Amino acid sequence: MSSAQATKNCITLKGSAQIIVEYLKYGIHSILFQRGIYPAENFDSTQQYGLTILMSKDPKITTFLQNVLSQTEEWLSKNMINKISMVITNAHSKEVLECWDFKMQAENGDNQAADPSQRTSSKDQTRIQNEIRDVMRQISATVSYLPLLDCICTFDVMIHTLDNTELPAKWDETGAIVIQNAQAVQLRSFSTGLHKVETVVNYKMST
Amino acid sequence: MDDIRSSLDNMVDHFNDSITHSAPKKLLFNRLSISLSDDSASLPKKRRVEQESPNCSLNSTTDSTNNSASDSNGTWKMNKLRAELIETKARLSQVQDQLKQNETKRRMELSLAESKVSALKTQCDFTSQKLLDLTKDMENRRGLENSYKEEARRAKAELAGLKLKYDETVNKLKNEKSQQEQDARDVQLCINNELGDYRRQAQRAELELQSTLKELECIRQRHDEYKARMSGYEELRANFEKQQQSLKVADERIKELEFEIQSYTDWKQVTKVSQERLASIPEMDSELQRLRVHNKQLNKIIGDKLLLEEQVHEYKARLDKEEGSRAEAAALQVKLSHTERELKEWVKVAQDHCLANTLVSPVTLRSRIEQLLQGDIVHVSEKYASESESKQMRNLVRDLEQKIRVYLKNIEDLNMSLKRHKNFKDRLQRKLRTVSRERDFYKQMVDNFDKDLTMSNASVAEMTQDMQVRYRVDVLERTLTGYKDLCTTLDREIQAMREQEQLSDPSSEDYENVKKELDTLRLENDRLRRRKEEQELEIMQRCLRQDISPPISKVVHLVDNPAAEAYESSKNMLEKLQAEIERLKRHNKKLEDANEQHLNETTSTSTGGMTMNFKELNKLRAELESANAKLGKTKEYFMAARKEFRDVVYMLLGYRIDRVGYKSNYRVTSMYAESPDDYFSIALSESNDLALLETPYSETLQPALDQQLAANNSFPPFFSSLTLDLFQRATVTMT
Repeated sequence: MSSAQATKNCITLKGSAQIIVEYLKYGIHSILFQRGIYPAENFDSTQQYGLTILMSKDPKITTFLQNVLSQTEEWLSKNMINKISMVITNAHSKEVLECWDFKMQAENGDNQAADPSQRTSSKDQTRIQNEIRDVMRQISATVSYLPLLDCICTFDVMIHTLDNTELPAKWDETGAIVIQNAQAVQLRSFSTGLHKVETVVNYKMST
Repeated sequence: MDDIRSSLDNMVDHFNDSITHSAPKKLLFNRLSISLSDDSASLPKKRRVEQESPNCSLNSTTDSTNNSASDSNGTWKMNKLRAELIETKARLSQVQDQLKQNETKRRMELSLAESKVSALKTQCDFTSQKLLDLTKDMENRRGLENSYKEEARRAKAELAGLKLKYDETVNKLKNEKSQQEQDARDVQLCINNELGDYRRQAQRAELELQSTLKELECIRQRHDEYKARMSGYEELRANFEKQQQSLKVADERIKELEFEIQSYTDWKQVTKVSQERLASIPEMDSELQRLRVHNKQLNKIIGDKLLLEEQVHEYKARLDKEEGSRAEAAALQVKLSHTERELKEWVKVAQDHCLANTLVSPVTLRSRIEQLLQGDIVHVSEKYASESESKQMRNLVRDLEQKIRVYLKNIEDLNMSLKRHKNFKDRLQRKLRTVSRERDFYKQMVDNFDKDLTMSNASVAEMTQDMQVRYRVDVLERTLTGYKDLCTTLDREIQAMREQEQLSDPSSEDYENVKKELDTLRLENDRLRRRKEEQELEIMQRCLRQDISPPISKVVHLVDNPAAEAYESSKNMLEKLQAEIERLKRHNKKLEDANEQHLNETTSTSTGGMTMNFKELNKLRAELESANAKLGKTKEYFMAARKEFRDVVYMLLGYRIDRVGYKSNYRVTSMYAESPDDYFSIALSESNDLALLETPYSETLQPALDQQLAANNSFPPFFSSLTLDLFQRATVTMT
């Protein structure tokens, strides 16, 4: 977080990417806990954004998220990502049950420099954190209306990148996901001044 | 091609050369002809003659010479020469004609040759073109050939590579094959070894089986022995049981005998006691009489006491009643005072409310109240009437208000029209004013003209010309100002008219139309706005769902993600479970087969026994049920019999004996007992001794107990005496 604050409370593109990746980490862990995808005893509570957030202890999940999010940070700092989707699927039938979309939009920041890496934002850090906290609260409140996941579920993180991005090793191209009979709910959005992140949850309507 | 062309050119040159070779001849001939023609035809006759003159001169010279020889011959010769000349001339013309013919022929030939040359040239061009095409084609072919050759070379190289590869693979496969063969040999060896092992094991197992069979036979023999022994034992046991039974019977017999002995001793004692009693009968009689007297006295005393007790009880009840009535009286007195006070208050109230002169009484009060109530009723009815009236009035007022509104509207309309009329009137007045002003002005003008006329007529003499002119100018200026004023007023009026025209409200019909249109437009507007909002919502939904064609992007994910892992694990699990199911199915089948074989082989094995066991179990169950049913029936029968027996015993002996508690405690109640609480409690100890336990009733009978039970140590006489006693008492009370 300290590196995100360069000088005089300026947020650079890299710093913005770091903030968003942190949000994604906590958000995905929180969703994993709230939606009951893994048993509750595998989670530890930590304090972040002034909230208690439960983080998975499973080394497989943590390493997976570490790998995905480091790549995401790299791409985000080059503005190459349109959207990040966390997809919850039935482990047996592979049916997509829920999709959490984190839509990324590049913003100009204070100075509309031609080179995006030179852009900075002077948005207050605490304000950003407050905005993220509101979104996190909403995520934990979604449990009240989202349908119960009564089967063994698993999750995947898909990144919607630009068409010309080169894929590193162990990364693979996959198709877009489709939810049958979907319903979408838009949550709050937050902005670092350089990126605007909208959170949307798509879920399968229980018939 | 060039060679061909050059050769063709050479040919043409050669041909031309040949022509030119012939040309000198022709030229020579030409020159000859020209010279001839020059000599003969082309030159005019005179000149020719002059030219001929040298000849002539020559001839003349000759002539002269000849003349010198002879003149006579000369004329002849001249003629002759002339004839020859004519002849030569004719010949010359002939030759000339021939020459001409030759020339035409030559020209013809030349033209022919030229045409031939041109044809040849065109052919040559055509062939050269063809040649060029062919050479190009040839080059192309060569290029193609080269490429094909390269391809062929490449293919050959590939073929060689493939050959090498296949050779390698063949070698590899051979190696593998050899390895596999070796493996197979190894495996075969292993299998053979294992087979040998197994065979050995099987032999060992057979040996073991034989030994076990032997053992089994031994065991069977032993078993038979044991069976024989067991039958012996069973016989022995039966004997033993028989003996035991006989022992029991003997014991019972002994017990009976002992009992009889005991009873005999009892009897002895009883007889002794009775003998003693018999001895003491007279004493007892006297005592009895005394006691009877005493008893009678006691009975009397008891009766008196009872009477007294009854009286006391009665008095007590009366006292209670008295006390209750006293308390009641006190309460009543309190109440009375209270009511009196209330009454006084009521009287005061009545006095307040009644007329001053009349006597105060409830009747008057009631009448007063009735009056008031009637007044109330009247008031209420009046109130309702007034309310209904007020309602009517309100309705009326509402109607009137509506009417007023209508009238006000009418008044407004009328006011508007009045205003319009007023405006119109104002306009008319203004117009009238302007018209009158115009009239005044014209009048003034007329006056001016009149004055002018009079001035021109009368005061010309008096005023100077200058003065006149000045005056006229003044007058004219005034008229001009008047004109200007008029103009301005007219302008103003026009403006005002225009404004009024603009202001003039549209007619009511137009207004209505416009209003309707406005309403419809408003409705349309609302509808469209709603539609717009719906569409916006729809769009938002679609945006959220990404139905709108997404920007060009590709979706990527990490290959080893939890989802893939989960799918894999679930798949593995499924396969494992299926394998397990398959295995279990096989196992099951094997077991079934083995079971069948077993059944076929022996029926006395454990599995066979199981089915037997089941059958037996069912049989036993059925037996159990029937036994239970039997038991129930016997129980019922027993209960009925027991009840009957108990009733009979009760009726015959006068005592009911109930078993109380789980220990052998018995409650004995007499038929003639005065209350159900009068009972004895008797316990049977382990040594079959009966013991009387203390009860409230037994305490009351202490002397009788002491006398009979303690003395005789026997219950039946005690109970029979008690029965007698109670019976007598009951009959006494009955009588």
